[in-house]
Amino acid sequence: METWLFKAALFAYLVSTAGYLVSLLVRRVSVARISTWVLFAAFAIHTLFIIGRWRLSGQSPVITLYESLSFLAWAVSGGYLVFQTMTKTRVLGAFVAPFSFLLMMATSLGLTGENVVPEILRGYWVPAHVFFTLTGEALLVLACLAGTMYLLQDHALRKKTAFRFSRYLPSLRDLDRINHLSLLWGFVFFTVGIIAGAVWAGAVWGRPWQWDPKQVFTLLAWILYVILVHQRLAIGWKGRKAAFLSILAFAVLLFSLAGVHAFFTTVHDFF
Amino acid sequence: MPVVLIGMNHKTAPVEIRERLALACDDPSRAITTLRSLPHLREVLYLATCNRVEVLAEMEDEARGLEGIKAFIFSHGNLPGEELESCLYIYRGDTATRHLFRVASSLDSMVMGEPQILGQVKEAYRMSVENGASGLMINKLLHHAFRVAKRVRTETAIAFNAVSVSYAAVALAKKIFGGLGGKTVLLIGAGEMSELAARHLLKNGAGRIIVANRTFENAVRLAEEFQGLATGFEALEEHLKEADIVISSTGSAGFVVSADMARNALRRRKNRLLFLIDIAVPRDIDPAAGEIDNVYLYNIDHLQEIVDENLKNRLEEAEKAERIVEEEVIRFAEWRNTLEVVPTIRSLKDRADAIIHGEMEKSFSWIRELREEDRERVEILVHGVVNKILHGPVTSLKEASQNDGTPVYVAAVRDLFHLDSPGSESGQQDVGKTETEEKESSS
Repeated sequence: METWLFKAALFAYLVSTAGYLVSLLVRRVSVARISTWVLFAAFAIHTLFIIGRWRLSGQSPVITLYESLSFLAWAVSGGYLVFQTMTKTRVLGAFVAPFSFLLMMATSLGLTGENVVPEILRGYWVPAHVFFTLTGEALLVLACLAGTMYLLQDHALRKKTAFRFSRYLPSLRDLDRINHLSLLWGFVFFTVGIIAGAVWAGAVWGRPWQWDPKQVFTLLAWILYVILVHQRLAIGWKGRKAAFLSILAFAVLLFSLAGVHAFFTTVHDFF
Repeated sequence: MPVVLIGMNHKTAPVEIRERLALACDDPSRAITTLRSLPHLREVLYLATCNRVEVLAEMEDEARGLEGIKAFIFSHGNLPGEELESCLYIYRGDTATRHLFRVASSLDSMVMGEPQILGQVKEAYRMSVENGASGLMINKLLHHAFRVAKRVRTETAIAFNAVSVSYAAVALAKKIFGGLGGKTVLLIGAGEMSELAARHLLKNGAGRIIVANRTFENAVRLAEEFQGLATGFEALEEHLKEADIVISSTGSAGFVVSADMARNALRRRKNRLLFLIDIAVPRDIDPAAGEIDNVYLYNIDHLQEIVDENLKNRLEEAEKAERIVEEEVIRFAEWRNTLEVVPTIRSLKDRADAIIHGEMEKSFSWIRELREEDRERVEILVHGVVNKILHGPVTSLKEASQNDGTPVYVAAVRDLFHLDSPGSESGQQDVGKTETEEKESSS
C-alpha cells in the first residue's frame, strides 16, 4: 500500500513536470493549468503516503535521510501550490515540479531499505528539528526560485529587446511578493528548527553549539537571512537587491545541507 | 443554390467610398430588410464596419441576384457604377467560405488579430436572423465561421501581442505591476499618443491620473477629461513620488525628469517599482534614471521595437491561422456537397415508401386475415428488404458527393429508380447546376 502510494506520487510528479515543460513549448495556458492539478494530485497522494508511513512505522516519518528528502519535496510542492492560488504564477511550477520529482527519485533509491534509527535520534526533539528546518528550507527554496525568476524578468525588461522572453515570466510584483512571503515564513520555520536542534544537541552532547562545520555554514546562511529580513522589513528593500541576496543566502544554505558532507567531517552524520 | 459574397474592404476601396457606403447604410436592419426584399435571394447577411461592407447571399439565380445586390450597393453609395465596381470583389463557393472565415477570425482586418470584428460578424448574423433573412446555408456557414474564429483565437497567438505603442505600454505595465488596479499615472505634458496611453491604462484598471503641464490651464482641461488632478511643473517632484507610471511627452528641449528626481522619488516611495515612459523627442527623462534599481525606463524607440517584434510574431501566427481556415473550408465544403445529394436521397426513400404502401394496399385482403403479430412481422420484413436494397445507392451517392461524382450519380439514380417520371409523386427539382459542373465547364 505504502510503496504503491509512493510510486503513484512519483508518477504524478513526473506527469506534472512533463506537463509544465510541454506548456512552455506549446505556449498553452490550459496545459499548465492541467499540470497544476496533476501537481496537486501528486501532493495529495504524497500526503497520504507520509501519513500512512507514519502510522505504519509508529515513528516520525521525517527521521531517515530518504524520508527527509521526500518530506522536502512534499513541502516545496505544498508551498508552491499555496503561492500559486495566491498569485496565479504558473510558470514557477515549471521549476518546482522537476525539483520535487528529482528529490522523489533520490528518495526512491533508499526508501525500501531497512533504516534502523539510531538510539540517539529517538525522542521528540529530532522530528521537530527535521520538520521545522525542512519546511523552512522548502520555503527558502521557493524564495530562491522566485528571486531567480525576478532577476530574469528584471533583465528582460531592462534589456528591452527580450520582450518575447519576458512574456513567459510572471510580473515583477508577483515574484517579489512570493519572494517576500516565502522568505519571512521560511525564516521563521528555519529558526525554530535550528533552536530545536540546539536543544536536542544540548541534551545528548552536553553542549548546544560546538563549531561543527555544518553548524557554522548553517549559521552563516542564517545570518545572511537575518540581514535580508532586516533590509526588507526595516530598510524597505524591494526587488533586485532582495532577490539577489535571497539567492546568495540559499547557495550558502545549500552548501551546508549537501556540500559540507563532502568536504568536512561533521557530527551531523547519523547514517 | 450558389452562395455568393460581394463586398469591399480597406484593401480594395478608399476610405471615402467606404465611409459613404457605411453612412448610407447606417441602419443595418433597414439594409437587411431592403436586401431581403430583392428577388432571387433566398438568404442574405449584411456586414458593415468602418473597414468593410459585405453582402453574403444564397441565391436562386446567380446573375440576376448579383445584379440586384450591386444595384443596392450603388444606390446606397450614391456613386457612379464604374467607380464602385472597381472596388468590389465577388467570391463564390469555397472562395466565399474562405473569405468569410478569414474575416471572422480577423485575418482580413486592417490590424490583424483585432478582436472587435468577430462581435461585428455576430451582430450582423443576429440582424439577419431577426429579420428572417437567414436559412439553412447562412446558419450553417456563420456557425462554422464562429467555430473557426474560436479555433484561431485559442490555437494561435494571433491576438496575443500588443501592436500599438499605447498597448505596448499597458502590456509592459502589467509585466511590472501584475494588475494595474489602484496604480497612479502621472501624465507630463500632453500629446495624442500619451493621452491614448493614459486612456488605455485607465481602461485596464489604473486608479488615478495626475496631469502636469507647464501651462496650468492645459493641465486643468486634460485633468477634467480624465477626472484626474491638475498640477503645474513646480509641483512635479512632489507628484513623482505618488506616481507608479509616468508618461512624459513635453516639447521641452532639456530633461524634465532628471535621474536625481527619480532617485529621490524612489526613496520617498520606499523603493516601490516605478515605470517611466518617455515618448517625447527630444527626450524628457534622463536615460540615467533607467539605471536605477526598481526603475524601468522605456522611450519611444523601445516601445516601437516591441511593436515591430510583435507584428513580426503576429505574421507568423497568421500563417498558422490560414492553415486552420483552409482545413475548415474543406470541412464545410464536405458538408455542402452532401447537401446536393440530399434531395435525391429523400425522393428515393419517398419513392420506396410509396411502393411499399401501394403493394400493401393490394394485398390488404389477405394481410387483414393475419394475426396482429404476424402482420407486424410482414411489415418489418418488407421494410427490411427495401432498406437493404436502398443502402447501396444511398451510400454511393454520399460518397460521390465528396469526389466530383455528384451529377453523374444523381442522374443515374434518378433515372434507374424513375424518380422524375410523372408516376412518382416526389417530382421535386434536384440540385440543378452544381458547383462542380460549373468548374468543369469554366475550365
